[in-house]
Amino acid sequence: MATPSNPAMAAALARLWTRFLPEIENRVAILETAAASLAAGSLTAEKKQAAHDAAHKLAGTLGTFGLHRGTELARHAEAFFAEEDRTATAQQVTAGIAELALLIKTRK
Amino acid sequence: MSRRILIIDDEDDIRMVAALSLETVAGWDVIVANSGAQGLQRAAEHMPDAILLDVMMPGMDGPTTFRELRKNPKTARIPVLLLTAKVQGADQRRFADLGVEAVLTKPFDPLTLSDQMSRILGW
Repeated sequence: MATPSNPAMAAALARLWTRFLPEIENRVAILETAAASLAAGSLTAEKKQAAHDAAHKLAGTLGTFGLHRGTELARHAEAFFAEEDRTATAQQVTAGIAELALLIKTRK
Repeated sequence: MSRRILIIDDEDDIRMVAALSLETVAGWDVIVANSGAQGLQRAAEHMPDAILLDVMMPGMDGPTTFRELRKNPKTARIPVLLLTAKVQGADQRRFADLGVEAVLTKPFDPLTLSDQMSRILGW
């Protein structure tokens, strides 16, 4: 979030966060769906691509609203679904997505 | 000094936060476009001092939009800064090789975005 030294900016960012929260939550839901499919062994190419795109957008957005850990978790998910990161396990990615969802849900 | 900036990004949240940042912190005039095609049109209409251009957009992506801007003599000399969530070195180098002024990484800090742009553009 913006520093207290610029309260006008912080207030405006808070309004934008509220406005865009449904879209952000929708992107997280896409990731959660992909994670569930992954666990069930039924992740389709389409769901994988949707998860990659959602993670990419979250990575670019969350830090702008001060959620730098959220950007980090989204980047891990993006790399996993793009198959750029072959070291991460499905369990690690699923746990990361759960943490991401909680982070967004509990953001003040 | 007041500047006019064109932001081209398909994501509403990023576009609005960037516009808010440049207007509130720097007092610049901001024009927005939600696609590469709309960005080309607005650039020619408004002749901004600089363009902040997203890389990944549906339809005409950022690199293609940049090349089209350069093809038009009217917009060919407008400085362009690419904005991307791709952080890997290879991606960054590929984008820098296009001939843009700079490649900025998302997420950006809304409080310092205008300072960052000013430094890059020598304003």
